[in-house]
Amino acid sequence: MSHFAYEWYSIALIMFIGFYCMLVSRSIVRQLIGLEIVSKAAMLALVSAGALANNLIYAQALLITMIVIEVVVVAAGLALLVKNFRLHHSADIWKLDSLKG
Amino acid sequence: MMNDYRYLLFVATALFALWAVMSSKLLTSAIMLALVSVTVSLLFFEYGAPWAGVFELSVCAGLITVLFIGAVSLVRQAEEKAPESRARFYALPLAFAIFAIAGWFYLPPFFNELAGWARPGTGGGTIGLALWDLRRPDLLGQVLMLAAGVFVIKSVFPRRNEK
Repeated sequence: MSHFAYEWYSIALIMFIGFYCMLVSRSIVRQLIGLEIVSKAAMLALVSAGALANNLIYAQALLITMIVIEVVVVAAGLALLVKNFRLHHSADIWKLDSLKG
Repeated sequence: MMNDYRYLLFVATALFALWAVMSSKLLTSAIMLALVSVTVSLLFFEYGAPWAGVFELSVCAGLITVLFIGAVSLVRQAEEKAPESRARFYALPLAFAIFAIAGWFYLPPFFNELAGWARPGTGGGTIGLALWDLRRPDLLGQVLMLAAGVFVIKSVFPRRNEK
């Protein structure tokens, strides 16, 4: 079995933890924590693939883009949380639909 | 097999991620998420990707943790008054173990096959060449992405009009 297979197996386990968190929780904060964990696993997969293909430079350039996108997504998610909390005094994701309009 | 240090970092990342998900206190979860970022950035350094490691450490372990702790301090009291049901979180170790055992038989052979698809690159160039020269148009995309984030925050919190 190659290094790559073991690494990606570990990455799949980390990704499972993030998906599970997003699946079972109704709190917006925990949803974002799950999203962060999934995103970290995706970044590790990218770097691992870059190392395998001896192309770490491009993997890093892509990763920096991904980190920028991650910050924007988390900031937008937390902004929605604050807005939702001001309206409903709750961080429940099911109450987000009342923000429309 | 992977080298021991890398293996240890992968295990630490998985453990901190489990802790972040299973902790009943949101503040502990946010701190554990920061530790996940730290171990991931150490893994980046271990792979020989220092730029990614520096960005991960400063932005994800630093800035995002501050954002999370700020949000948690806002919702903490409400969460403590009406906590979420923990039963599904307590099932995580069991679900994780089932996934790990089932995945052990199917995933590594698939990833081995996937490794065969790699087209080895030359490994040359510098991060400066990749970021500032070859991917120059992407920089505009990144700036626009950050502007989109600012715009989201601006639209979620509009300035109140007294009239």
